[in-house]
Amino acid sequence: MDKEKLTGMIIDYIDNNLSEEERREVEAELSGNAESKGLYEELRELVHLINSATPIEMAPRVREDFERFLEKEIDSSKKVVRLQSFFYRIAAAVLLLVVGGWVGYVVSQRHEQRIAEIESRIDGMMAMMENELSASQRLRGVNVVMTLDRPDDEIVAALLKLMNDDPNSNVRLAALEALGRFVDEQQVRRGIIDALPKQRDPVVQIALIQLLVKIREKQVLDDLQKIVDDEETIQAVRDEAWAGILILS
Amino acid sequence: MTDESIMEAVKRGDLRQASILFERYHKRIFNFLAKMTLDRELAADLTQNVFFRLIRYRESFRPGRRFEPWVFQIARNVFSDHYQTQKNRVAVYVDVEKVKDNIEDENDGAERDEKERQLHQSLARLTDEQRELLILTRFEQMKYEDVAAIMQTSVANIKVKVHRALLKLREYYFEVEKT
Repeated sequence: MDKEKLTGMIIDYIDNNLSEEERREVEAELSGNAESKGLYEELRELVHLINSATPIEMAPRVREDFERFLEKEIDSSKKVVRLQSFFYRIAAAVLLLVVGGWVGYVVSQRHEQRIAEIESRIDGMMAMMENELSASQRLRGVNVVMTLDRPDDEIVAALLKLMNDDPNSNVRLAALEALGRFVDEQQVRRGIIDALPKQRDPVVQIALIQLLVKIREKQVLDDLQKIVDDEETIQAVRDEAWAGILILS
Repeated sequence: MTDESIMEAVKRGDLRQASILFERYHKRIFNFLAKMTLDRELAADLTQNVFFRLIRYRESFRPGRRFEPWVFQIARNVFSDHYQTQKNRVAVYVDVEKVKDNIEDENDGAERDEKERQLHQSLARLTDEQRELLILTRFEQMKYEDVAAIMQTSVANIKVKVHRALLKLREYYFEVEKT
């Protein structure tokens, strides 16, 4: 018997998944072959260990977070019910287009599908970025945003909020990096200019200054000067601000 | 009530019923993710995400489908999305010596026996696919048919792969034990 087949049969023997005839075949092999017997004993010990392994205990926060999330979803689903008549009117309008002709139908279907895809994607990103319970999820949301060609106002506002207020510095930095990709958008540019005097995390301050210098934003010269003059700000940030002034002025 | 009928109710808008599914499955999903990620804290985050997705994407639960493979499919997607975003793979960075510390509560560590520690270390050395197959079929006791459906392959293929994975685990486990 080849080794792979034998191994399979030994495992099935341990799991009690063999016919009577196959069982006898395996037992004959085990009694006549010390190597097979050794393999059987090791596999049996391993299978037994797996079957009796203690489950890993989970932190209670998972249940609490889930219950909080569920309550939120129940609340928002009630709001959706109230909005349904509005969606019915839209659906009726779409139906009229269908009656209007086959070409109109095809075009509107594609359009609807595209909107649904975009909305679903944006919903997913927003849900991740607004997940107050998990920094890793917020980080993931920001990373997904980075794949967009152009963010909408809601996403820009969420990124600015994360950059300014998120308790996790990795999330703040990632949000800034994402914003850096969209600096051509007026709202983004305004947001990062306004953020400079408010930001207190030195790592984010330095990254922010570097970004503002890179985009040659001279409006921040006064704020940079204030940072340089502020003795409570750490030296590395003040140095970066000073370097920024030299480049921009 | 069956899992499927509860999920149908959730789909119809009775979201509170999702609590029952959470009760029935959260420990198994967490254990699956903890053994896949080898990181207890991350597994807790990802477990939440599985149940968030279960509710958000409830419409995708199709009538006639079994709930257990569906929810584990969500867990697999959550795991794989996380590592695609992170662009790092567990197997590359995991320090098998730290596996026990990462996946076990500090308070219960002393009670676990040495053999389980070796088992987790050996599990960590398997490929993602081998580890996943053993977690689903052996630790979570899922049927080969369900795992084959999740992984979109044949039952025979799954069975062969599980046997090979078990053999590899045996090699690592007894290698560790002998050292």
